[in-house]
Amino acid sequence: MPEPLKPELLTSGPLLSVRDLEIVFRIDGQDVPVVRDLSFDIEAGETLGIVGESGCGKSITALSLLGLVPNPPGRVSKGQILLNGEDLTRAGEARLNAVRGNDISMVFQEPMTSLNPVYTIGEQIAETVRVHFGLSRAAAWDRAVEMLSQVGIPSPKTRAHDYPHQLSGGMRQRVMIAIALVCEPKILIADEPTTALDVTVQAQIFDLFQDLQERFGAAIILITHDIGVVAQMTDRVMVMYAGRKIEEGSVASFIRDPRHPYTRGLISCIPHLSLPPSDVPAPLFEIPGVVPSARELGASGCAFAPRCSHASGRCAAETPTLFPVGDGRSAACWLEVEAAR
Amino acid sequence: MLKLTLRKAANAVALLLAVLVLNFTMIHLAPGDPVETLVGEMGGATPALIEDLRRSMGLDQPLYIQIGLYVGNVLRGDFGHSYYYDQPVLTLIGARIGPTLLLVTTALFAATMIGTVLGVFSAQRRSSWLSHLVTVLSLAGFSAPVFWVGIMLILVLSVAFPIFPISGMSDAVGTDGGLLYALDVAHHLALPALTLALIYLAFYSRLARASMLEVLGSDYVRTARAKGLPRRLVVYKHALRNAILPVVTFAGLQFGQVISGAVLVETVFAWPGLGTLAFDSILRRDTPTLLGILFFSALMVVVMNVLTDLLYRRIDPRIKIR
Repeated sequence: MPEPLKPELLTSGPLLSVRDLEIVFRIDGQDVPVVRDLSFDIEAGETLGIVGESGCGKSITALSLLGLVPNPPGRVSKGQILLNGEDLTRAGEARLNAVRGNDISMVFQEPMTSLNPVYTIGEQIAETVRVHFGLSRAAAWDRAVEMLSQVGIPSPKTRAHDYPHQLSGGMRQRVMIAIALVCEPKILIADEPTTALDVTVQAQIFDLFQDLQERFGAAIILITHDIGVVAQMTDRVMVMYAGRKIEEGSVASFIRDPRHPYTRGLISCIPHLSLPPSDVPAPLFEIPGVVPSARELGASGCAFAPRCSHASGRCAAETPTLFPVGDGRSAACWLEVEAAR
Repeated sequence: MLKLTLRKAANAVALLLAVLVLNFTMIHLAPGDPVETLVGEMGGATPALIEDLRRSMGLDQPLYIQIGLYVGNVLRGDFGHSYYYDQPVLTLIGARIGPTLLLVTTALFAATMIGTVLGVFSAQRRSSWLSHLVTVLSLAGFSAPVFWVGIMLILVLSVAFPIFPISGMSDAVGTDGGLLYALDVAHHLALPALTLALIYLAFYSRLARASMLEVLGSDYVRTARAKGLPRRLVVYKHALRNAILPVVTFAGLQFGQVISGAVLVETVFAWPGLGTLAFDSILRRDTPTLLGILFFSALMVVVMNVLTDLLYRRIDPRIKIR
């Protein structure tokens, strides 16, 4: 167990609270919203899964928490991102740099390209602690070696001198995790951290996440489109579709009793292994149609309506808001509203 | 590492031999007879004397014997005798190679350094005036012929505003090799080096800008930002070292091109380097001198390539000894 680098913060209320977030991209002189009316909280030590198809706004939401929305063309146009009550959308670059990697850190999808090819992995871990804690070169290096051992890299003393190209994809992702955790952040964002890795390596990485979460006590925001991973890793799930949150609830309710037709579709899409004697493979389920692009979305109406078999006239005309469906769950679907009547 | 160096050296020697043979053949295939030219400058000669001259220069032998003799001599360090200056070629080149190396390395160094700085700045502010200025400068530098740029610079900075000398490498004063002499040479070097640098400055600023833009959009730069590194570390530590690779590659590859560019610049500024000597040697059909110059140019290019290779290995750890 490493020496704690910073004292525990006493907080009341959620650790991170996102309020009415809107992110727009400027395309052909117009601001096109890619994330709208997004609110969610995360408590210290919990794991929140963010689920959705590619392009639904998961990754850009994650980047916005670090103030890293690529600008131009993107920017946070509305809402607040409150870290212990401090609004990060109003923070300057210096303050954001103090938060990045220190309070909130991030593991990216692509371990092959996310490490700088011309510096040793030891240096890339050590510089983070040097910047945030002002440690000396030698002390920071020792800390980097210790982190490498924490994330399960064998003979960390020698491997610290390796360059990224000398490591496998799984090892590189471990290094990314070491970088993300070296300052013991309060929140770790993992954006599809295993998409680029082999299935066997995926399991190891998730085990490592769980193990490290127990040791470091960080809250994890896990972005994925793998429902299996969600079931195994998270406490709470938030489903996003076309830039909006459409359902949120505990992971158990999400798997057993999905409310939004899109969530139900997502869960039906999980292929099942069929074994002999019933060796006729079940046909794979798919949700018809594709996610509309941000520019195709109208000002009102449910974005999922064109793909939804239950859609009615109201779905096309009015945007459904999140509606509580019991158990602290909510779903943005008119069907739920109708059913409640 | 030793094995690699030896293999590279062997390759270089083979390459230089091939250059020797190829140059020799090409020059002897070209029209123009050195004896005729020499005789013309002497004011004519009898056929017997012409024959005599031809024999004394070895020009009466078949081409392959001439090549063999020449290569053999070069291997013994004898580059022959200039037809025109009546001096050993090695002596002639020895006196001229210094000024050329000075001009070429100064120009290339300035072009890569300033070009990289401009490129890095303009890549960070893509739509600033500096960025547009770099684009305009690049286009102008690319399109303007080097001799025209040289003449324009002379007109403005030597004639209209006499800040720099018009030509030559030093004034009569202070040729003792001391500080005064060095300053004098630097003063004379400014305009020719600027002329030569301008063309390449345009090229390198564009190259550095494009390379930097690509690197700034890369995943590892995003990682560096997500770690909370201050901007200066992100740009100068993480991005620049990667972005500089194409600049190093091109600087090494372009060394030969810069030497040929130097021929024109040296001619315009009467810079006493290999370029002017080459130019004169071509006009005078002074084959041994020309061959010697071509050989030493090739040698400089080969040495530069090896140096580039070594530098590249220093910057990018992915390039390993193979």
